Amino acid sequence: MIDQAAETVRFPDTGRFLMGRLRDAMTEDEKIQFESMIERTEWIERPTRLIASGSVCRHSTMLIEGFMLRTLDGDGKRHAVSFHVPGDFVDLHCYALKRLDHNIDTVGRVKVGYVPHAALDGVMRDQPHLARLFWFSTLLDAAMHREWIMALERLTTPRRIAHIFAEVWRRLGMVGLQEATGFATPLTQSDLSEMCGASAIHTNRAIRDLRASGIADFDRGRVTVPDRAALEHYAGFTPDYLYGPWALAYDRQPGDPI
Amino acid sequence: MDAAQVFSTFPLTGDFLAGRLRDQFAVEELHILEGMMAGPRCLADGERLIARGQTAVQATILIDGFMIDRIIRDGKRFIVGLHVPGDFVDLHGFALKHLDHDIVAAGPVRIAQVGRDRLREVTQARPAMARALWFATLLDAAINRQWIRNLEALDAPQRIAHLYAELHHRLTLIGRNATRTLRTPFTQTDLADMCGVSAIHANRAVARLRELGLGEIRRGDLYIADWAALERYAGFDPAYLYGAAAPSR
Repeated sequence: MIDQAAETVRFPDTGRFLMGRLRDAMTEDEKIQFESMIERTEWIERPTRLIASGSVCRHSTMLIEGFMLRTLDGDGKRHAVSFHVPGDFVDLHCYALKRLDHNIDTVGRVKVGYVPHAALDGVMRDQPHLARLFWFSTLLDAAMHREWIMALERLTTPRRIAHIFAEVWRRLGMVGLQEATGFATPLTQSDLSEMCGASAIHTNRAIRDLRASGIADFDRGRVTVPDRAALEHYAGFTPDYLYGPWALAYDRQPGDPI
Repeated sequence: MDAAQVFSTFPLTGDFLAGRLRDQFAVEELHILEGMMAGPRCLADGERLIARGQTAVQATILIDGFMIDRIIRDGKRFIVGLHVPGDFVDLHGFALKHLDHDIVAAGPVRIAQVGRDRLREVTQARPAMARALWFATLLDAAINRQWIRNLEALDAPQRIAHLYAELHHRLTLIGRNATRTLRTPFTQTDLADMCGVSAIHANRAVARLRELGLGEIRRGDLYIADWAALERYAGFDPAYLYGAAAPSR
């Protein structure tokens, strides 16, 4: 088991990468190397469009602190298609895809680190094991996308919001940011409505319903949940698709070391 | 190389990344890719290739036909993805080991497969191929994102229109473009499960597309005169499909 606190002290920029998943499959050398690939870090104070859809990138962005959304524009509106927590190598997609099909928008205050694509070329050439771990990390996003598709296909607005809360809380826990009663988040009501495809009025009503039924209280930058099991049951949420220590986990076997 | 030559030389993998990165492959690598696949083999309509949670010991390319990504939850079926020829349908399983979804044939299909160990050897020896396979899986993710956005932003008739516009475009990229008829094996229930609506809603949405003169869907086949009109109606922009000629926005 990884000592999560020690890991983020030793690797301040990349210590949360794959935490709760395959971080323990990374060798010490790979961890040191990944940390050294961060060319530059910066704090971004306000919600910012870090990368616009269609732009060509020469570096990929690691989310070190704070939150981000992947968004698509359409009909003059923004639609949020996924959410990111610290430790996500959010913009690694841009390395394999060359240009992004979506925007990367920050939420609240974030710290990011930039990895030049030339360094990733080196990994692809010389370090197939680390390359596979990078590949793995991008496919976690695809698994989350599929779950979101299903959530949108089957859930009502309050349940969609509950599903988002359940997912974010679990993901924060996986990367060493667990809290007992909920989580702090800079997400706004309008971010939430963009994440669940509902109008502002619908979202507002759904948030009130969640509070009234005692499922979750979203207020002033905090989501408070009295009973995790009740939240997850209400949202029809099971964490398997996050590829943490649950049913779908990558169980490493001798001879199949990833 | 014209289409006939491609298929006599690469009968199993000739559609892989066609219209996208295929032209950038070294010929030697195209041959390695073709040579590592075993097949073809057929699956019947509805046959499941791999189940959620099962260890992915093979990676599978779709040669002919359509396949769907399916998740069963609380006894109900949800369709979360769709595959056309040239797609490595279960390649996510190579990196994730276990898939979060089932992959099922929609209509009869032909596939070819490569074992996990062999695939690891090839990607290890050939970084350019590893990168192309990675690209292919991220293309799936880009399509997923568009589906999320569609579910957030579009009504049922627009979702169905978008689905057909996407299929048309994906088939065109691999040189299998339909002009006035796009044939699919999809039932009305399949369409409903792809769009997150009831069968009754899907029925009404299909009727709406007919009323608007955008196209007529019968037994999954779309009869259409004006693709541009359908694309406009659906707000379809093919940039997310990463076609080689697609302009960046």
